[in-house]
Amino acid sequence: MSELRLSSIETRGVPGKRRYAMVIDLRRCIGCDGCMTACKAEFDVPVGVFRTWVPYKVVGIYPNVRKHFMPRLCNHCDDPPCVRACPVGATYKVEDGGFVLQHYDRCIGCKACMASCPYNARFMLPKSRTYTDITSVVDKCTFCHHRVTQGLAPACVVTCIGRARIFGDLNDPASEVARLVSTLPTQVLRPEEGTKPHVFYIGLDRNNSEFGRAVYNPLDVLEQDRQAFNKNHQG
Amino acid sequence: MGDFNIFHHMPWSSTYSIYFFTIGISAALFFMSTLSWYREEFKTLRSSAFYLSFVLLAVSGLLLIGDLSKPARFLNIMNPAYLNFTSPLAWGGLNLLSFGAVSVAYFFMMRKNDEGLSRKLAVLGSLLALGLPIYTGFDLTVHQNRPVWNTPLMPILFVALSLVSGAAVASFLAGTNEKLLVMLRRFMLWSAGAVAAMLISLLGTTAYGGTGQELTFMFMTSGALGGIFIGVGILLGTAAPILLLLAPFGRQQGGVMLAALLLLVGGMALRYSILVGGQIVQTYF
Ligand code: SF4
Ligand code: SF4
Repeated sequence: MSELRLSSIETRGVPGKRRYAMVIDLRRCIGCDGCMTACKAEFDVPVGVFRTWVPYKVVGIYPNVRKHFMPRLCNHCDDPPCVRACPVGATYKVEDGGFVLQHYDRCIGCKACMASCPYNARFMLPKSRTYTDITSVVDKCTFCHHRVTQGLAPACVVTCIGRARIFGDLNDPASEVARLVSTLPTQVLRPEEGTKPHVFYIGLDRNNSEFGRAVYNPLDVLEQDRQAFNKNHQG
Repeated sequence: MGDFNIFHHMPWSSTYSIYFFTIGISAALFFMSTLSWYREEFKTLRSSAFYLSFVLLAVSGLLLIGDLSKPARFLNIMNPAYLNFTSPLAWGGLNLLSFGAVSVAYFFMMRKNDEGLSRKLAVLGSLLALGLPIYTGFDLTVHQNRPVWNTPLMPILFVALSLVSGAAVASFLAGTNEKLLVMLRRFMLWSAGAVAAMLISLLGTTAYGGTGQELTFMFMTSGALGGIFIGVGILLGTAAPILLLLAPFGRQQGGVMLAALLLLVGGMALRYSILVGGQIVQTYF
């Protein structure tokens, strides 16, 4: 792993440091949304927003069609633009492990991090919540930092029925993620943004993961859903 | 990804574009007040431009704070233990504050008729005022994933837009002062020309860019956003006033004011469409 390092914040391949990563094997994902549900339960994630989500796309031409699922989450980028965009250091990277986390009590809600994340991984929490008093600040996936530091795997990984999500330390050559990333062709999302994402996909088709031509003609029914969604979730 | 089941929305709403508009005018008006110490023509603008600049600065500050989801925490941006200097917003916050402080000091020195200090503060304030459109431009430029924003043109475009809109507002304050109107007409003409030149290259690089750029170009040149960007921003709000100012009528007071009005409408439309344009495509990702 002798990658050219452009920013001092990067921890991939740095001796003595851990660099957690997730491998998502799209061949095994059945789109059951179990991970979304486990995540919602783990963090009391409010209605309408997601720390992890499983978008799908119907691809192909009849009769050769399939549903292409692509679980998404924060990529815990090695060079995260959200961290450098935050004016008050409310979003930061944990050096040992590479988690990108939030100081909820510092966040002023300027949404600069949301604007700078190329992956839409961040969202604004609602003004009031029933069980949790963290409100009106930006939130996102934490790679289950609280579980991982206690030796547990993230909630979505544990729950995945297809074992499509694999988690571990990429800097440890003996880990399963390191083996998968070294021996199989993997892809990350939007590598051209220079973020060095640490969620690796096996079996990802970039024709389906890029901005699709569908942007030109969004389906009418989806457009209605989208408008209804936007009405209820103003940023 | 049109048929994906999760929706995203734009982080930065139209409040930001109004902020860009008011802070740009505030900065340029301060600059006009500074000019009054060095150019006779601008003398009548000294206090009126400054007062309006100050009011707009206050309005801008409120807009910015009001747009935060935790407005009461805006003081965090002044906390040295929190400040993150890789963020243009942090620089912008400091710039705004120091500009505000210099404006207050300038107000008192003018009231005391202390010419020496007023001049110094005016120059210092102007430099800080220049920083405001520059930082707003950088605010957008640094987002490498946003087409249209991520270009070195942005800070310069915002400086030019600030001058256009500021000169346009100043022409309403100028009244019948002919010499001043001549100067303001030149200001408007040159800065609107610069805006036009930059918009042409912006459109070119966007249209010939990658997928995201190409789609952004499509959104910004068609439909409702196309109407605002091309129709109001470029044609009505930049090209038309340039032509008007070049025509004989554009040398009269009525002509200058009509052009100023169009430039203001155009300036707002351009800021809005650039802000929204840079975010629209990603909501589909
Ligand atoms: S995916 Fe987005 S939120 Fe997560 S680390 Fe990267 S830039 Fe930040
Ligand atoms: S919204 Fe919060 S976490 Fe995001 S950049 Fe602003 S202060 Fe930082």
